[in-house]
Amino acid sequence: MLHAKIVDTKEKKLSIIEAENFISSHDYGASIFFTGTVRNQNDNKSVIGITYDSHDALVTNSFHEIYDEANQKLNIKDKSVYIEHAKGYLNLGEISIIIAVACKHRDQAYVLSRYIIEEIKKRSPIWKKEHYQNNDSAWLEGSPIINEKN
Amino acid sequence: MKVVIELFGASRDFSNKNLIELDIKNNSTIKDVRGKILDYLDLNFKGNKNFIKIVNSSVFCSNNNIISDNYKITNNEKIAIIPPIGGG
Repeated sequence: MLHAKIVDTKEKKLSIIEAENFISSHDYGASIFFTGTVRNQNDNKSVIGITYDSHDALVTNSFHEIYDEANQKLNIKDKSVYIEHAKGYLNLGEISIIIAVACKHRDQAYVLSRYIIEEIKKRSPIWKKEHYQNNDSAWLEGSPIINEKN
Repeated sequence: MKVVIELFGASRDFSNKNLIELDIKNNSTIKDVRGKILDYLDLNFKGNKNFIKIVNSSVFCSNNNIISDNYKITNNEKIAIIPPIGGG
């Protein structure tokens, strides 16, 4: 079972309670909640907030692909996964991503949670623009997507 | 013919309209479009080196699929530029 969504920060905030409600089940004995939040320092600069941009359709597709791959690559078939990523401006401490997973056993839950966040970092088209205390702002450099079709 | 480039991430700084429209020759490919974007940046941003780096390290997307450099563009097609990523 998968919930995958990009959330406009003007519409709502990401909620761990909603994630917990989605993955809760008597079928599973282990749950992991991963959140990414806006921190106040990067590269020796004082950060006051981040604007997130996203290609929504590609990102949602990538979340589904990553979920499906977990069947094959990790052999974790029984699972419940909740992934939401914010789009728009977030202040310090606000949640930019929630990955909540529930599996039968803890080993699976830890592996699955880590796999999802690392794959999102590699292939989900999401971008960050940091805003600094001196009123400056900058897009972070990021990593190129490897185009297997070339 | 025309192609519309939807801008995402760092490429949003290429225009204040979140897209750029380019005139291209018939049967142009993504490789050709990449060159046209570089011409556009040369003209409008005096060849801003950071912008050039972004274009050269981007992939492109049509109909929600990443496409190859040999992909042939149709008239008025909308293509998204996908600069280097970094979410989470």
